[in-house]
Amino acid sequence: MEYFSGLSDALRLTFVQIMIFSTIAIVIFLYGMILNFQKWGAGVTGYALEPQAGSKGSAIRFLKTWWKQVVEESHHGHGKPILEVLILDIMFQRRILKRSPLRWFMHFTIFAGWMSLFALSGLMFAVEMTEKFGIELPFTPAEFRDFLSLPNYIFGYVLLLGVIIAVVRRLVVSNAREATIMYDWILLGGVFIVTISGFIADGIRTGFIWSFGLDPATAPPAALFHSIISLLFCIAYIPYSKYIHVIATPLAILANKGGE
Amino acid sequence: MAKKTPSIDTKNLTAVQLMELDSCTRCGECVKWCPTYAASGQKPGLAPRDKILRWKQYMDKSYGLKAKLFGPKEIPQSELEEFKDDLHGCSTCGICATVCESGINTVELWEALRTNLVKKGIGPFGKQSMFPKLIGQYHNPYLLDQKDRLAWVPPDVKIADKANIVYFTGCTAGYKQLALAFATSRVLNKLGIEFTMLGEEEWCCGSALIRTGQVHVDDVARNLAKHNVEAIKAKGATKVLYACAGCFRASKVDWPRLLGEELPFEVVHITEFLEDLIKKDKIKWEKTIDKTVTYHDPCHLGRHVGVYDAPRFVLEHIPGVKFVEMDRVREFQRCCGAGGGVKAGLPDLALGVAESRVKDALDTNADILSSACPFCKRNLMDGRDSLKADIEVEDIIVLVAQALGLSVEEPKKAEPKKA
Repeated sequence: MEYFSGLSDALRLTFVQIMIFSTIAIVIFLYGMILNFQKWGAGVTGYALEPQAGSKGSAIRFLKTWWKQVVEESHHGHGKPILEVLILDIMFQRRILKRSPLRWFMHFTIFAGWMSLFALSGLMFAVEMTEKFGIELPFTPAEFRDFLSLPNYIFGYVLLLGVIIAVVRRLVVSNAREATIMYDWILLGGVFIVTISGFIADGIRTGFIWSFGLDPATAPPAALFHSIISLLFCIAYIPYSKYIHVIATPLAILANKGGE
Repeated sequence: MAKKTPSIDTKNLTAVQLMELDSCTRCGECVKWCPTYAASGQKPGLAPRDKILRWKQYMDKSYGLKAKLFGPKEIPQSELEEFKDDLHGCSTCGICATVCESGINTVELWEALRTNLVKKGIGPFGKQSMFPKLIGQYHNPYLLDQKDRLAWVPPDVKIADKANIVYFTGCTAGYKQLALAFATSRVLNKLGIEFTMLGEEEWCCGSALIRTGQVHVDDVARNLAKHNVEAIKAKGATKVLYACAGCFRASKVDWPRLLGEELPFEVVHITEFLEDLIKKDKIKWEKTIDKTVTYHDPCHLGRHVGVYDAPRFVLEHIPGVKFVEMDRVREFQRCCGAGGGVKAGLPDLALGVAESRVKDALDTNADILSSACPFCKRNLMDGRDSLKADIEVEDIIVLVAQALGLSVEEPKKAEPKKA
């Protein structure tokens, strides 16, 4: 199977090549996550304790400590049921909504767009793998890709809306602009590049809206750029940047039972 | 060549707290609400978000990828000292936790960081370092004689030798703000509630040590908690009443953790106790207080433990009281500025925060700014005096006593002796 993206029309990526790139991204991600877990696991397991002399950070210690806090009763009386926290505070992001409806809308559109596109890509991958294993489906991978194009467009635009609000807010609102540091810009810049490059790559391929009059011959490298940059920012770079909040924030909210 | 060691360590910081540093999205809500950041003239280092970022960077320099590959990067001592100063410019009021979009338990984080640095010999702040020695030696922070714990008790107050209920006075009410102790004891007598007190056996609750990162020093805080719990058990009590929010919080949250076990008695704030009696129609008011009253939620009673309704319920049931709310109440309350060792360590900052809170009260045109914590009362009075504002600052229990026709005057003979 050949993909649309490639260095040129004649040098398109194969399934194996895409799998190699994806595996590299996942390995970099996993290594980073282990490092983070070890860094967090350098902490102690309970109140007012000290790490044992000579002990190193341990991912297992982190996971055990986190789980213990998730299930133990809070002395502060702020604890909420875990299901409520999962649905309202993590999926629906209630804590942001309480503080700022605009910022909630911005963050929720990015979250919903991003996660939906991720899930749709996962579905596409599952169909491709099914075909690789010789299991017959009532549709071909190409047909399924066409079927996904509409939801991909919809969630792509949902994501784009959130990203534009985020960038404009950081540039226009003085408080936000003055407080923004490189740590923040890398996150926002990454999401912006991934989103825009996706629209442009698709625009060049289809000649629709986002092509900006670019030569259709540039469609494969544009798609390749989008694929690589997506693997980089959406997977590999997560543990090494502010993207880590997509993992750490839900874990923190769960550990603190929805927070105060 | 000897292997470099990290400039910081992770003592007292739990694995979850280290993760919380990475969960901060830098949304800035904490900065918008922080009372000491505002009162300091927006000193950048006091912003909670900034403190989280700095310790995250220290962690990355010490335990992150680069540290793994090339060894930890040194953090200058002066930078850690500056961080310590900023860390102690916080009243641990917890508003940053309430508004944190990532749900970070910031109060626990600040206290753990303070303890971590104290263990390293950095901090606490100014006079705060005297707390462990003084409290360990005198069992109260005012250096007064334990024998005088009950010196304030006037002849009309009846205290049982043993009872189901203990009134835990607290050092400030027992030595400094006697009106609060008179009011509480006389109200309980008037309502026919038999209670006992610990007298000499009542030791400081340890709050000042815990809040300033000195929970570990000579194990004083744990000893205080252990002694108080044993003394309460010896009295045969099943319920302990507190009119001090700081002692209440320490007993409810800190003592069980220090001792590693649940307390064998119920911890109840006096306003919760009175609320229950009012609901059972067991209070017969004798006087009216025809004044407009507003209420300041003490952090240690409200945000830290979640008691918001009881004080309001009591105030609203005092005859004649017209209750009005200030801006920023309940979980979004603006701190008075006294807590977390700020009053002792940075009195000017504490005063600045108190002035902001008094201004909130003045905006309501209230006659009385009430609270349920002697420490809040002290600092709010200082804020009021600094502003030369015309508003009475009073504790709820004193207003209750007045409405029950009781005196809260301090007889001269009850003044405690100096040690």
